Amino acid sequence: MSMKNVLAVALGILSAIGGFVDIGDLVFNTQAGATFGYQLLWVVVIGVAGIVVYSEMCGRVAAVAKRPVFDLIRERTGFSAGLATLAASQVVNLMTCAAEVGGVAICLQLLSGLPYRALIPLAVVGLAVASWVLPFEWIERVFGYLGLSLLVFAVAAIKLHPDWERVAHGFVPGSHTGGSVPVYLYFVVGLLGAAMTPYEVYFYSSGAVEDGWGLKELGLNKVTAMIGYGLGGFLSFALMIVAGTLFLPLGIDPQFLGTPALGAEEALGQVGLLLALVGILFAVGGAAIETCFSGAYNTAQFFGWRWGKKERPAAASRFTLAWVVIFALAFLVVMTGYDPVKLTEYSVIFSVVALPLTYLPILLVANDRTYMGSKVNGRLANVLGVLYFILILAIAVAAIPLMLITHGGQG
Amino acid sequence: MTRNQRSGALVLVAVIALFASGCGSSGRLSAKALSDQSTALESLAAEGALLARHAGGGKTTHIFTRVHSEYLYEAASQAASSLRTAKTDPAFEPKLRHVASLARKVSADLKRVGHASKAEQPRLARELEAAAKELA
Repeated sequence: MSMKNVLAVALGILSAIGGFVDIGDLVFNTQAGATFGYQLLWVVVIGVAGIVVYSEMCGRVAAVAKRPVFDLIRERTGFSAGLATLAASQVVNLMTCAAEVGGVAICLQLLSGLPYRALIPLAVVGLAVASWVLPFEWIERVFGYLGLSLLVFAVAAIKLHPDWERVAHGFVPGSHTGGSVPVYLYFVVGLLGAAMTPYEVYFYSSGAVEDGWGLKELGLNKVTAMIGYGLGGFLSFALMIVAGTLFLPLGIDPQFLGTPALGAEEALGQVGLLLALVGILFAVGGAAIETCFSGAYNTAQFFGWRWGKKERPAAASRFTLAWVVIFALAFLVVMTGYDPVKLTEYSVIFSVVALPLTYLPILLVANDRTYMGSKVNGRLANVLGVLYFILILAIAVAAIPLMLITHGGQG
Repeated sequence: MTRNQRSGALVLVAVIALFASGCGSSGRLSAKALSDQSTALESLAAEGALLARHAGGGKTTHIFTRVHSEYLYEAASQAASSLRTAKTDPAFEPKLRHVASLARKVSADLKRVGHASKAEQPRLARELEAAAKELA
């Protein structure tokens, strides 16, 4: 591999790490840490491994069959089930996009002191302009690299001197203390949902098709999925460790987007605070663009429209209109004044319900020799794929009852 | 009604029942609801104390202190106003009055955190910490 390729892979990994965390990860990892300390770290490992398994699969399908996820959903599940999946995924995408846009406005408010409502239109216009003007790679990289500021939480986690023995125990599932069983299970479901959120695979596979991935990119796909997402999960650990070390002993239940930043502030003062806020700003900003484009990709792929960020807007006019409309709808949702953190909790839990219909077609096509030839799933990918699919089915069934029983994790 | 429609109706009834059980129906604050309010206020007071401690120690920015304390204040003042008009069983009345009084105090302190001088922040942090301990 030439130096140029090594650099390209390294840059791709860095943007994947920075782009891994979104508002769902911030909210659920921090709340889980503040409620159960380090006891749920093992769930993050399972969630991150799940997104690695399925991202690698859908990246491989995109590279070999040149088909993005929603194209396959329509073909594999038929029109009616495909339409139901589209409707469900669009509702979840819109909720997530609105939560991320609200998150951007809150971060801007925490940095500038300007009124939240005035910053919402600014956030939407800024994100829309970035989406229109910046090429695909630059969107990923600008938001991914600046999202790397979230690594401040890793430094904070070390500087807060957690009990490392208890942290290590957190990676092993077992009995828990500090909350009821339903609340514990609610956070298990939420953490898995936040790590394996469907828009990530929609965006990843559509991006791979847009980038014209072929057989040569299969190695890049594996490296990006495994190392990029794997190290991205490292940020989730850091958030949970900071919350478990600082917030749990003080009795703080984080209900605001600014709360995680207090952890960085405690360890590193003003520099920590600013890095945390910039990291959160670009992480949720990047996720807002990804959810918005995922919605447009899904609609265009389902209805067979011409699509692609690389297309001229006029050439893919319905696709372009779709993402503009999603941003406009997200703007209206956020302007109602609904709390973005609450919206995030609902969007993550509802996304869990939509997971099986997203991941089943990927698993089926990745096993289909007519599409994949010799690049079908190997034994390991199949074992992991099936195990994760069973897990996804279980959490999809449990998600809404747990949310109702625990009043959104409040007990 | 077809079997599918019946199943759908059953699911709907179950969901409504679950929502209803979450909302409560007596209109009076139960012991659990009062305890939940107290825990929520404890969290706000503890977070306010941490913020005030950071502000006093020069660990944070004025803007962050002002904006984040506003969020905390809004949540605390909403809790305070709902507790002011809340009713509960006679056995829990003293606790309700105590929590309501602490809610007013926490709310006032959080409002102050956003505009207090660096020298005043440690006192506010101590008051909020004490309130959090009482609410725990």
